[in-house]
Amino acid sequence: MGQKRYFSITIITIIIGFMIAVQYQSVKEPVVRDTRDTSQLREDLVKEKELYLSLIREIRSNEEKLEKYETERSQSKEQILKETLNELKEEAGLSEVEGPGIVINIEHVDEDLLLGKQVSAISPYLIQRLVNELNQYGANQISIAGQRLINSSVIRDINGQTKVDGYSLDSFPIELKVVVENIDAAKKLYNRMEVSSSAEDFFIDNFRLTISEPESGLTIPAYKDSLKIRHMELAETEKGG
Amino acid sequence: MWLPVLGLLIGLFLGSLADIKIPVEYSNYLSIAVLAALDTLFGGIRAHLQNIYDEKVFVSGFFFNIILAASLAFLGVHLGVDLYLAAVFAFGVRLFQNIAVIRRILLTKWSTNKEKM
Repeated sequence: MGQKRYFSITIITIIIGFMIAVQYQSVKEPVVRDTRDTSQLREDLVKEKELYLSLIREIRSNEEKLEKYETERSQSKEQILKETLNELKEEAGLSEVEGPGIVINIEHVDEDLLLGKQVSAISPYLIQRLVNELNQYGANQISIAGQRLINSSVIRDINGQTKVDGYSLDSFPIELKVVVENIDAAKKLYNRMEVSSSAEDFFIDNFRLTISEPESGLTIPAYKDSLKIRHMELAETEKGG
Repeated sequence: MWLPVLGLLIGLFLGSLADIKIPVEYSNYLSIAVLAALDTLFGGIRAHLQNIYDEKVFVSGFFFNIILAASLAFLGVHLGVDLYLAAVFAFGVRLFQNIAVIRRILLTKWSTNKEKM
């Protein structure tokens, strides 16, 4: 009797001890209290701030290095040459240009067609005047019927057909795309074209000009042919550093 | 007589060795269980001293109290009422009573022993 009784009590006390130990451990865990006083806290804060400062310094030096490399890269001769080439290409009309601008459509006056009048070809003089006017009003790039106008472009009558750089303008409506510096310039150009006298000149020749509202993303194609440069020589470079 | 104390020490030793940590949200249950176990233990000691000790009552009381306390705490958590406080209160009161009874019995025993001397 006595042995058995002690045995069961012992088992139960083992369980109790186990439970108490576990409970003690789990409760004790968060009792790692912060016992630092103000000056210690301040010291730690100062340490952390120093770390913060050093990190910031490191970031700054890295950024400076990055900037240096970037400027070195951008100022390299190759890069400058490439940029110049691209600029020149853009200026010469050898690259596609996208920007704000307006679209002008030239079409026949329908009423005359109904009356049975002969459809006449458009006069190059009219188009030249229109292009001049556009240039005067700040047009940067112009294309006529998908043909880019460059400095050496010609608009002329060849065997009774009006041609732009050799491409005839016989399918109406003829679409003129004009790209300008910015959207404000496009609005200005639009307003000026609305009141310009070219529309009347065109109307006398039985053509009608329709001017579109300014658009922001107008694309003007590149000049299709290669530039033939005659009567031009490489200047002799003088010796120097 | 010393066997239960030895058992308690072994239990404490094992528990500290085992390095088990109860998550904070369950530590309520364990504390209640510990309280119930202590209550049962002191109840058993008192019964032993009063010579009304019954093994079955003791062992069943031990486990039943633990389970009851834990389930009461569980119910309390889910009802939003701190029911485990009821268990704490009940076991606390009983613990004090038991210990008081044990003290008195021991005191009488001691005084009678002294008289005999």
